[in-house]
Amino acid sequence: MVHEPFDEFEIELKQALERRPAPPGLKRRLLVQRAARTRQREARSSFVLWQRLAASVVLVAALAGGLGWRRHEEEQRKGEQARQQVLTALRITSHALDHAQAQLAAHDRDSENARNSGSQN
Amino acid sequence: MAQAAQPDWQPDFEELVDQHQSMVFSLALRMTGDRGLAEEIAQDVFLEMDRHLAKLESPDHACFWLRRVTMSRSADALRRRKVRGMDLWVEIDERHGMRLEERSSPLGARLESLLATLPEPQRAALVLRYQEDLTPEEIAATLDAPVATVKSQLQRGLKLLRAKAATHLKEYVRGA
Repeated sequence: MVHEPFDEFEIELKQALERRPAPPGLKRRLLVQRAARTRQREARSSFVLWQRLAASVVLVAALAGGLGWRRHEEEQRKGEQARQQVLTALRITSHALDHAQAQLAAHDRDSENARNSGSQN
Repeated sequence: MAQAAQPDWQPDFEELVDQHQSMVFSLALRMTGDRGLAEEIAQDVFLEMDRHLAKLESPDHACFWLRRVTMSRSADALRRRKVRGMDLWVEIDERHGMRLEERSSPLGARLESLLATLPEPQRAALVLRYQEDLTPEEIAATLDAPVATVKSQLQRGLKLLRAKAATHLKEYVRGA
């Protein structure tokens, strides 16, 4: 039926269904809405850009802070190690001095004993 | 239906609106029967087209895309209205209808009103057939339906419309 040429009824229907003109101002309203949406999109993208920038700054600051803290910890650890080494050295020196002093004292005592026994004879 | 791409073609929003606003508005109007709603649908469709402008490959593709999206948006609007319990096409002439001088002829206006009483799938097929002059294959592509279904909708719709016209238009002619 639909492939055959239009009959009288179909011709009347076709005439009845001619395209209607769009309401006046439809295009103007569309262009206004389109411009508003473009502005919104631009504002949103600039907001997103600032957000990304702020996030990058925070990330860099956190990384720098972490790095600084690690360096500080390392320095503290090295300082403590050096202090321990100095203390060990001091302990060794002190021990050596004590030992030398004990030897000297023993030597003095031996000398004095020898002197005393000589004078008694 | 495949639309041949034109590599050199650059879609221009304003030009496409100028070319197709009447088609988009008329399709939406005949599907919903509400001028206000049809205008809203037309605006939505063109703004949607603006978002997909880069995907349009040729003037034919743009036209096909506009028809398809308009029919789909109109069907959505009809479904929303049904959900809200509103009866479409009720007193449309009084509420949102076109002024008499806008109509092609009183007989045409009656036919248009009768078309509005058809079930939605039949109305869609007939509008695309007789307003847009599409073949059943093109209608099937636009509505994303099998060709056999479209042919059946066209036949049943036209038969129903003829039957309604036989009753109502006789009364109209007698009353004129």
